[in-house]
Amino acid sequence: MKDVLKRIVFGKREKYWWMNALVPLISILLAFIVGAIFIKITGRSPVVAYKLLFGASGLFPGPYWKSHFAEMLLSSSMYIATGLGFAIAAKGGLFNIGAEGHFIVGGIAAAYLGYAKPFAGLPKFIHLPLIIVGVMLAGGIWGAIAGYLKAKRGIHEVITTIMLNWIALYLIEAWLVIGPMEAAVETGISGTPYISLSAKLPKILPPTRLNISIIIILAVTFLIWYLFYKTTFGYEIRTMGHTLMFGMEAPKAAGINVERRTIQTMFIAGAVAALGGAFMVLGVLFQYPPIFEGGYGFDGIAVALIGQNEPLGVILAGILIGALRTGATTVQLAHIPKTFPSIIEGFTVGFIALQMLIRYWIMKLIQGRKKSVQTEMGGGAK
Amino acid sequence: MNSNIPFLNASIAQALDYTAPILFAALGGVMSENAGVVNIALEGMMRFAAFFGVWGSFVSGNAWVGLLWGVGIGIVLGALHAYITVKWAGDQIISGVAINVMAMGMITYLLESVFKTTGYSPPVAYFGAPASKIHLAFLKGIPILGAFAELTILIWFALILVVVLHFVLYHTVLGLRIRAVGENPHAAETLGVNVFKIKWFAVISGSVLAAFGGLALSLGTLSSFTNSMAMGKGFIGLAAMIFGKWTPFGALGAILIFAGAQVLQLFMQGTATGFAKLIPLGFYLSLPYMLTIGALIGVVGKAVGPASDGVPYKKES
Repeated sequence: MKDVLKRIVFGKREKYWWMNALVPLISILLAFIVGAIFIKITGRSPVVAYKLLFGASGLFPGPYWKSHFAEMLLSSSMYIATGLGFAIAAKGGLFNIGAEGHFIVGGIAAAYLGYAKPFAGLPKFIHLPLIIVGVMLAGGIWGAIAGYLKAKRGIHEVITTIMLNWIALYLIEAWLVIGPMEAAVETGISGTPYISLSAKLPKILPPTRLNISIIIILAVTFLIWYLFYKTTFGYEIRTMGHTLMFGMEAPKAAGINVERRTIQTMFIAGAVAALGGAFMVLGVLFQYPPIFEGGYGFDGIAVALIGQNEPLGVILAGILIGALRTGATTVQLAHIPKTFPSIIEGFTVGFIALQMLIRYWIMKLIQGRKKSVQTEMGGGAK
Repeated sequence: MNSNIPFLNASIAQALDYTAPILFAALGGVMSENAGVVNIALEGMMRFAAFFGVWGSFVSGNAWVGLLWGVGIGIVLGALHAYITVKWAGDQIISGVAINVMAMGMITYLLESVFKTTGYSPPVAYFGAPASKIHLAFLKGIPILGAFAELTILIWFALILVVVLHFVLYHTVLGLRIRAVGENPHAAETLGVNVFKIKWFAVISGSVLAAFGGLALSLGTLSSFTNSMAMGKGFIGLAAMIFGKWTPFGALGAILIFAGAQVLQLFMQGTATGFAKLIPLGFYLSLPYMLTIGALIGVVGKAVGPASDGVPYKKES
């Protein structure tokens, strides 16, 4: 038992590296099994439910596959954006619950830059990049506020990001959208005016709504990966994350400007999460409605955790969650609410939290097999 | 000015009603985090308990049965959180997120399959009914104190609990052990404290407190469950706990600042004249949140929690 635990805890990076990928996969599988049991207990058919869920998820070919596939990637791009927002901050040892706020700040910035006069007349190849930069600046600044308060004032980022989420929500939905940015009454539109044609994201799979948002977010994810694993800047941020428990004394001693890096980390996290809101406004809604459909920010936390806070993992987890949400629109046919994927998502995250147990089982399995070959070696497992 | 007294009292009573769920959540956090287990699942636990409370009250027609159901689900969730984070040294944040996400999906699912409705449950027996409130008629008409004339039993319980929890944490052996486990579990272990037992106890009792927060929402303020519950109140409770430096009275103070800003917000909206009428609604609504950040910048300084908060405890081999 002792040996096994030791190996799980200390040796995971070197010898059993594949375990880091196996744990999320097993967690997802277990979550689907528990989800099926849950459906069964409440008196519905899990087989029918999963058939509908996966049939319309866009992951597998079938009727209307093209449009399901497009819808899946559309929502995945938003989940990846907010997931990265959490993962980036987590790399620097920060717990960012602010993705929800960054998302709507990005949305309102995209809407404004999309319809406002001096910008709306520009040609598309200038207008669209301008909006993207503007959105990332807005989200970044909103994120950097929390970073600044953490670095300079020592205020816990959990408090500030929660407060900033609410401030963003009220300022946008109880002021901007019903005040200065409200569409003129005679147009009959509720919410902000629609964005100009030059602000819409170009479509890439014509009959469907799929647009370049997925390409943008994949490129951004690659840049984030490069930043974290190939530059000194990223190395310094990761150092901070790894020594969080020890008051970041080591990075400070190594000459890392912890305060500045904290602010920068939160800026990047906010900027990337804000892109999600921009995708929503520029590719799906084409305006900021009176009430924005929320939840992407909080699901982003789950996406990041399932993806183990690694850029590649976040992409895969984002696609999974996007697929489940897309498929969920049809599970209502089996009399199951369309929030059903949240249950799967919750269980998956739960099993990832239980990864010590899963790792222990796997190790026991390996050890057991080894033991049967060479009995005299003996194993630590009970 | 006199004519404003009933309005002021009503505003404060409303703020207290608004405060109780947050206070319960914050106290739940205080309990759990003093033993070194971060609980960001307060929000999800409130949601579960709010629903199960309404369900129990719906089935039995008695709000007290609903209360028991809510406490029951609180114990189950607390045990789950403790099993993951204490027994298997799992990441406390991840476990908390899992419970929050599950609360989103599972409760919406149950709402539709139990009550066959989307968004709202039917009204049930609750503690906020005029007959079940605690009446203190002699306080009526006195400024500020008048707000306490007609409160639900849950609000009184929340306020009393602050004192009780302070006493338990700082004046009993159990409280000393809880805090020792949160500060330095290895030292506590050498002194013969059963670290795992204390953590299990603290996590489950903290989660029951959070469950009371949910019950205060669905069986105290309202008489039904709405699908937007707990409306972020668990997270505000979490923030209040950190703001209050992980102590019961600190949390109460933080929430009073927050609630004070709420009263101010309602009062200003209601009595605004001239220039104040021109200020958009959004600024009034975000005022409590801005003031909280402002108070943190101005007065409080660094928030330092229990030293081993969030660190999974493993026995040395």
